[in-house]
Amino acid sequence: MSLSTRIADFDDPRFDPFETFESATQSDSDEDPYVRLAGMREQKSVFAVDYRELLGSPPDETMRDLAKYMVLGSPEIQQVLETPQVFSNTIFERNVGLCFGRSLTVMDAPEHTRYRQLFQKAFMPNVVSKWGETLVDPVVIGLIEGIKHKGRADLVKDFTKYYPFQIIYKQLDLPQADIGTFHKLAVGLTCIVVDVAHGVEASQKLGAYYSLLLEERRNSGGADLVSTLAQAEADGERLPDVVLVSFLRQLINAAGDTTYRATSSLLVGLLTNPDQLEAVRRDRTLIPAAIEEALRWEPPVTVCPRLTLQPVVLDGVEIPAGSEIDAMTGAYNRDPARYENPDHYKLHRKQQRHMGFAYGQHVCIGQHLARVEMTRALNALFDHLPNLRLDPDYPPPKVAGVNMRVPAAVYVRFDA
Amino acid sequence: MKTWQCLSCGFIYDEALGRPDEGIAAGTRWEDVPDDWQCPDCGTGKADFEMVEL
Repeated sequence: MSLSTRIADFDDPRFDPFETFESATQSDSDEDPYVRLAGMREQKSVFAVDYRELLGSPPDETMRDLAKYMVLGSPEIQQVLETPQVFSNTIFERNVGLCFGRSLTVMDAPEHTRYRQLFQKAFMPNVVSKWGETLVDPVVIGLIEGIKHKGRADLVKDFTKYYPFQIIYKQLDLPQADIGTFHKLAVGLTCIVVDVAHGVEASQKLGAYYSLLLEERRNSGGADLVSTLAQAEADGERLPDVVLVSFLRQLINAAGDTTYRATSSLLVGLLTNPDQLEAVRRDRTLIPAAIEEALRWEPPVTVCPRLTLQPVVLDGVEIPAGSEIDAMTGAYNRDPARYENPDHYKLHRKQQRHMGFAYGQHVCIGQHLARVEMTRALNALFDHLPNLRLDPDYPPPKVAGVNMRVPAAVYVRFDA
Repeated sequence: MKTWQCLSCGFIYDEALGRPDEGIAAGTRWEDVPDDWQCPDCGTGKADFEMVEL
């Protein structure tokens, strides 16, 4: 029986995971969360408050019973993320653990360290740079081919919303017929914070599918990501199936959704600053700086939650064990004590740490691939869409969202 | 000049570039980087770096 016949859709055909997920990340107000957070940071660094409620986002159903503390001060955010023995990732067992499974995200050291190094092998800079030409370029150029004769486009709907996902399908070497349902289930996983039942259903169905895929690929000697990870070994140890399936379940969200958001915001940063756009278009060696500044200015994920394993005092606030700590990494990236005019996209900044890929033991495992993807995407857009600029028929694009950010659309024109 | 890679996150320490903002001058050899130095991205210690050819 082929794999395609074994991928199962949601039992309820009316369930739309795309809409549910987007609603969970957005605010019910038009207020810019960064403005509110900047004002609060001037008062103090740590607040006994649920950031989701504060910023108008629906509550996380899986965390309802926890006392919540929002950390806004940069030194305290850094302290939280570099002290995992106090501020634990096991908080994710409550949501990510239910839908992705035992992925790296729910683990603390030493378990995390052991598996992280195994997975990291597949995402080292020298490995992912090779994917640029073979995987990334065909996808980005293919999508641009579809719009380049039109002279105008919405680069979100026509480009960024698809390219990172299509790259993952290629990495996984998925059968074409499975992709639609696969993507729907993968997005369904992330609905867990507002819709636990559908998140769990997606987890079971995608888990069953991945187990079949693993069985098929384990000894195939193939070069796709499933085969590579199934054969990854360090000190004679291989990844257990449950950990491997959990990692793969997380991939669409961790590698697809974040890159779609980050690339969209990069385009907003450049297109709304035409002088900087022109500078990068003319001198492509500026692309890495353009990407890092986009990740600082508008990181796709703005919060890193942790669970206190013991009572702790943070900036004078006594926090009991078993509390949710929300390290506001997006706010770290906008701290005027670290960055001059932090709310502006500015290409030429002093190089220093940002938390666009988070920070500490759980720093994004796919960061090197994300940079390759964004670099190739931007180069291809410049190469194939001459005189790329904002479409004056539409209002300028705006990045929105609370814990995950993206512009709804980026309308552009170019010379066809 | 050599490059060293963090096994936990893939961060590259390039001896030619050093880490001037952390007080490690360009040209500082790996063995001269302080023993308590940590990966600036993930906090891993020097022991979990290995030399790589780029």
